[in-house]
Amino acid sequence: MSQAAAHLHWQREAGLEQVEFFAEGMHCANCARAIRAQVGALPGVRQVDVNLTTARVSVAWNPGQSRLATVLETVERLGFHAVPLTGEAGGAAQLQERRAMLKRLGLAGLAAMQMSMYTVGLYVGAFTGIEPWVERLLRVAAMLIAIPVMLYSGAPFLRGAWMDLRRRTLGMDVPVAAALVLAFAASVVNTWRNSGQIYFDSVAMFIFFLLLGRYVEMNVRRGSLNASEALVRSLPARVTRLREDQGSDRIALEQVAAGDRLVVALGAVIPVDCVLESGTALVDESLLTGEAVPVTRSAGMTLPGGAINLGAACTVRASRDAHSSTLASMAALIERAQAERPPQALAADRAAGQFVFWIVSLAVLVAGFWLWVNPSKAFEATLAVLVVTCPCALSLATPVAVAAATSRLARRGILVTRANALERLAAIDTVVLDKTGTLTSARMQLGEIRCLGSTPEGDCLSVAASLEQQSVHPLASAFINATTAHRPVEALRETAGQGVEGLIDGVRWRVGRHAYVTALLDSVPASVPDADDFVWLGTARELSAAFALVDILRPEAVAAVQALRTLGLGVAIASGDRRSTVQRIAAELGIAQAAGRMNPEAKLALIRSEQAAGHRVLMVGDGINDGPVLAAANVSCAMGGGAALAHAAADLLLMNESLSAVAAAVDTARRAAGLVRANLRWALGYNLCAVPLAAAGLVPPWLAALGMSASSLFVVLRARRFVGQPT
Amino acid sequence: MSVSLLLIPLALILLAAAVGAFFWAVDAGQFEDLDHVADHALDDEPPAPAPAADPAPDA
Repeated sequence: MSQAAAHLHWQREAGLEQVEFFAEGMHCANCARAIRAQVGALPGVRQVDVNLTTARVSVAWNPGQSRLATVLETVERLGFHAVPLTGEAGGAAQLQERRAMLKRLGLAGLAAMQMSMYTVGLYVGAFTGIEPWVERLLRVAAMLIAIPVMLYSGAPFLRGAWMDLRRRTLGMDVPVAAALVLAFAASVVNTWRNSGQIYFDSVAMFIFFLLLGRYVEMNVRRGSLNASEALVRSLPARVTRLREDQGSDRIALEQVAAGDRLVVALGAVIPVDCVLESGTALVDESLLTGEAVPVTRSAGMTLPGGAINLGAACTVRASRDAHSSTLASMAALIERAQAERPPQALAADRAAGQFVFWIVSLAVLVAGFWLWVNPSKAFEATLAVLVVTCPCALSLATPVAVAAATSRLARRGILVTRANALERLAAIDTVVLDKTGTLTSARMQLGEIRCLGSTPEGDCLSVAASLEQQSVHPLASAFINATTAHRPVEALRETAGQGVEGLIDGVRWRVGRHAYVTALLDSVPASVPDADDFVWLGTARELSAAFALVDILRPEAVAAVQALRTLGLGVAIASGDRRSTVQRIAAELGIAQAAGRMNPEAKLALIRSEQAAGHRVLMVGDGINDGPVLAAANVSCAMGGGAALAHAAADLLLMNESLSAVAAAVDTARRAAGLVRANLRWALGYNLCAVPLAAAGLVPPWLAALGMSASSLFVVLRARRFVGQPT
Repeated sequence: MSVSLLLIPLALILLAAAVGAFFWAVDAGQFEDLDHVADHALDDEPPAPAPAADPAPDA
């Protein structure tokens, strides 16, 4: 285990150490259970997370009681290969596994085709007469082809079954391998004796179809993973680090530690959360915050990992290690969603486990029955029962549908952070929307202008716009967009959180908060009760104007609310804003149930009362101050990535901040739930029909192989089609 | 019927050749990306080397 150092391995809080790796060869719930149980039983191991979809394993342990080598050895002993997860090594391992799978599939397919020709020859020969030495030649040729198929293409099933038996459990591979070995052995014996049936073609076909099902399933899962991880994948693999002597070297992303000085080139992704060292940088943070407009950051400000540098190359100092960065936590959220098995899938797994036991018992019963009644049919009937009842379809139905739905949503910009979120989302009947930042964009628009002094309205606006021109404050854009009449400004000075000051035609103007602007005046004016609802403009002589800023509906809001209604959902607004504003917005959207001036407690009470009335509620908020409210709802959905990530309370994240995605998410979840139900029904129905026929000896082995594989393929392909369907 | 003495081994050799060709194609990365390669004909840029092993390109 000398390669242990290459594994992603770090110190965790409270003296724990953690390692993450890729367990090669893991493909079923039984494998995952085995790792969880065996590694979890090691002394000092606190936590074992096994992600079946990605084959990732994460272990946290107390370094005083166990060592990394022990953990990895345990995994290897179970028959899996622990491969470093990150960077090129992990990718290469996955690539190898994928290619090996394809080769196995190709070999089995080509061999099955060739052998079916020999079988036809033997079959026709049996009727029209065939010279014994030709018959013998055909059998031997078929065996020669079948040996590599069995040993290479069939290896995953044989190895899986062997591992299951060594662990004294019954996995899905056990009946499969039993059928393969039985058929193969009988065929070899019959070839030797040169009499009786050979089943080499059935063996190759069975292996081919089983592999085909697994291959397609692997691709569906990989697709869902790729879509979710597109964001995380945008990270560079290597970054340029500056040395003390001003030289630089390229290091792997995982090696970046807090305090490193890094150079980020034009157009490059900022690798970790960091602080800008000097100058200014223009960055696009849309991946993280959904804010499409690039923002200017000056020296000393924080740049989040995942933002894109749009300006010249800049030097930054990493404020966190690579594995604790914003983007890393995003990756962790995706991981969490995939590591948790949806409850339905768990139930199906347990059912499949018991099912295998019943299959094996049934096969023994069938064998006994036929040996007693008609020994010549015993072998084929037993084989058919083993093959036809493989519970693959049953076990695949849920995970494949969830993976497909996740992939579909990811493409719409919706990140699913919890595995069971889709199941819950399919059941909701009420949507509660927050207003600010959800129904309305965070950007403000200029509303009413109140002239308070001698300056006319147009002049007030152009002065304010000119002053705000350089400002990066979110409110500034409301002014800049409102007029094109800009004037030259001298001695411009911005006070953070207060306002902007500058000279226009020799007159000193201030725009900003009431207190800041009136500070120029000699006399202290009477305080205004709702001063904070306005932006003020004034000179040393007078208070000139008050600008009301209103938030504007997102352009897609009306259509999005309509879409939610079409799905039969009740829609309500809960906002902390003024009642009048909320009423105006609600009227525009045609929503009757709208409440304003609600603090988080009131929102919480609203959700609780809806739930008490028997509704299942989806709460959509901006994720910033809605944490507890989001947590209380049956399903929660937060806008954007930035703030929502910190809380991670939301089940769904709308990465592109488009409200129309909410309706799409509900629709997709419902369809996925339908798909799961249909798949389970199909798998169950198939087994109910096929088992009696097989037990009665009416199904020849090749037909059994075809039927079993078709049922798995059918389940997987339906999920695959679901990914590609238009919404 | 003695022709089958020639044809059956010949079929075995052809099969081995087909399997060999397929294995070569898999190892050469011919099946890595079945969706987007067709679009490369429309690119203005000369084709970049296929990112076979490393999905995250260097920045």
